[in-house]
Amino acid sequence: MAMDNLVLTPPPHLRSKEQTAVAMRDVLIALAPITIAALVAFTYNALFNIAVCVGSAMFFELVARKIRKKKVTLSDGSAAVTGLLLALLLPAKIHWLNMIIASFVAVVIVKELMGGLGRNIFNPALFGFVFILIGSGFLASWTGHLGFLPGGFDGVQAATPVAYIKHGLQGAPSYAALLFANYGGAISEVGCFWILLGGAYLLYRKVINWVIPVTILATVFILAYILGSDGLYQILAGGVMLGAFFMATDWVTSPMYRWGQAVFGLIIGICIVLIRLYGGPSGAVAYSILIGNAFVPLLDKVFKPKRFGEVVAA
Amino acid sequence: MAELKTFKGGIHPPYNKELASGKAIKAAPIPSEVVIHLQQHIGAPCEPLVKEGDRVELGQKIGEAQAFVSAPVHASVSGTVKAITEVPNFTGAKVKSVIITPDPEQPEFQKRTGKDLDALTAEEVREIAKEAGLVGMGGAAFPTHVKITPPKDKPIDIVIINACECEPFLTCDHRLLLERTDDLIAGARLLKTAVGAGKVIFGVEANKMDAVDALRSRASSYPDVEVEVLEVKYPEGAEKMLIFALTGRKVPPGKLPSEVGCLVQNVGTAVALYEAAAWGKPLYERVVTVTGPGVREPANLLARIGTPISVLLEACGGLVGNPVKLIMGGPMTGWAQKDASAPVVKGTSGVVVLTSDVVDLGEESECVRCGKCVEVCPMFLSPNFIVQSVKRGQWDKAEMWGALDCFECGCCSFECPAYIPHVQYVRKAKAEIAALKKK
Repeated sequence: MAMDNLVLTPPPHLRSKEQTAVAMRDVLIALAPITIAALVAFTYNALFNIAVCVGSAMFFELVARKIRKKKVTLSDGSAAVTGLLLALLLPAKIHWLNMIIASFVAVVIVKELMGGLGRNIFNPALFGFVFILIGSGFLASWTGHLGFLPGGFDGVQAATPVAYIKHGLQGAPSYAALLFANYGGAISEVGCFWILLGGAYLLYRKVINWVIPVTILATVFILAYILGSDGLYQILAGGVMLGAFFMATDWVTSPMYRWGQAVFGLIIGICIVLIRLYGGPSGAVAYSILIGNAFVPLLDKVFKPKRFGEVVAA
Repeated sequence: MAELKTFKGGIHPPYNKELASGKAIKAAPIPSEVVIHLQQHIGAPCEPLVKEGDRVELGQKIGEAQAFVSAPVHASVSGTVKAITEVPNFTGAKVKSVIITPDPEQPEFQKRTGKDLDALTAEEVREIAKEAGLVGMGGAAFPTHVKITPPKDKPIDIVIINACECEPFLTCDHRLLLERTDDLIAGARLLKTAVGAGKVIFGVEANKMDAVDALRSRASSYPDVEVEVLEVKYPEGAEKMLIFALTGRKVPPGKLPSEVGCLVQNVGTAVALYEAAAWGKPLYERVVTVTGPGVREPANLLARIGTPISVLLEACGGLVGNPVKLIMGGPMTGWAQKDASAPVVKGTSGVVVLTSDVVDLGEESECVRCGKCVEVCPMFLSPNFIVQSVKRGQWDKAEMWGALDCFECGCCSFECPAYIPHVQYVRKAKAEIAALKKK
């Protein structure tokens, strides 16, 4: 009998089809609708940004892994996801060097220096984005330039949808427009319907569960109304949808347990509304998720489930 | 239809039961040599009662231990003791074994008849189980007479017969349910006698409705026997999960089923107890499912203890395809073999051969904290944090995250997108924690 190929690995000997690389591929598939919408709206500007961000993220990961003498992990797709998310967070007109800087911070500093995929505390794409955002208040209007270097843009002067939140909604885009049309800001702010489509796919594929997106959206919606703002407008405008479905749900930087995830969503939702209403106009979602990320180790400790049959000590 | 009873967590692996579920039990060939380990079970090893050159008769006791937690072993053939020596068992550990050369003509087992099973006392049933060398036949092989001697202060009111057979591929219990229904019910009622319980519940997964029907029709005359249908989910047949699914009772961490008044026994054990009590037959053979995509003609074989699995594979027409895993036991918890030399033991429920097209040997990568292991863990542990603690050598933390409560079902590794062998890490943690506690 042919038994030369027998391998001795520990049980279980069967496994599901789950693979990190497959999950990352699913994220890329889920990002396809919004990416296509961005490409339609911003054509070659968006294409250029995406190419620079994805290319540089993959390049930096490759170099960082080589220097650290670790196995090259480009095939797991996480660098590509980071690059694409970064590009989607940025406006169309932005100096290419800013993108390279953001990409470097995201991949090298936030991810690889923390030990690589799985060890990072903060969402790499968001951290890279915030790093260059701090350079200037660029996102409030189309004319500002982003980051440390001036952009080559001389476009129309128009407030982004998020800018209306603090100062009242006169002249703000309609709900329908926020769902389907291009109203400026980041290249991903071209209709959050396309993001919802991708989110639904991630839920269907069980890459993410509903807890984090739903608590974020619900918290923003309810708290906004409580504070006298338009809750529906708030969840449709800006990066809330992208953040709720694609950023806050990042496996590595979100809590393990359901109740921890709910509190995580709550923290992020509260921060988003407070920053938008009382803080600066840009990057509220990004800041909020990064704040949430910082709570993850604590949430994992607090919400550790009771073992089967374990009784709560009286 | 009402929702089926079950537990929280768990997985739905591909079951592939149809490969062997329709195959009636048939006798396996007698090998040219049987190798009977003197330690087949959890507990103390037996001392041999025979020596090289001795003649032994079928069913003769050939090994026994003085310790309470142990079970005697019996000759599975009539023949001559060729040697008593150390032989590797299916885990690779070397154990003292009696090697017997069978006679060319094997006798039929002489059944004793006319025993009134209803007249047996608890003490007598326990003695019968002990003398027959009964152990749990679902795989763990814990001596049955110990299990049916619960502590005095923990009365047992329910005997549960584990008829889930939740391991993929295996069908030996399914066949026993269909072919030995009456004997099984009689054996289950003997277990009830042994522990003084009020009733017997059969827990059967919904993928064996023919067995449910058979049980229900035969058990209808016994008011103390119930048959429950359970959701098809792995590991439904894990002791704590099964007790919870059927009774809602939760066995606390580190405790035994007697804590909540339950006794769980496997189908094969109940049938063997019946055979021991009614026929005086010791446990020297068992049904082994030989199956998998790598087996030409899957079958359920009644094999003598000590039969090398190569003999069983040959009886099934040999191997096909490109076999990469030869597993002793089920595919979720069984042991991969490097060749087919290991002999059948009392706990061998199956021999599964997997081919390269169904085995996915991905490389272990870093945990990405997806949380799937936490979601599927039926014990509500955090397998990823146990692994993390083991990697850092933090044994106290490994224990804190639940390493000692893990019963190694493998759901976590099944779901893990990073190919992390959690069970392997847990075993290491258990060994280290035990060593630390000894100090």
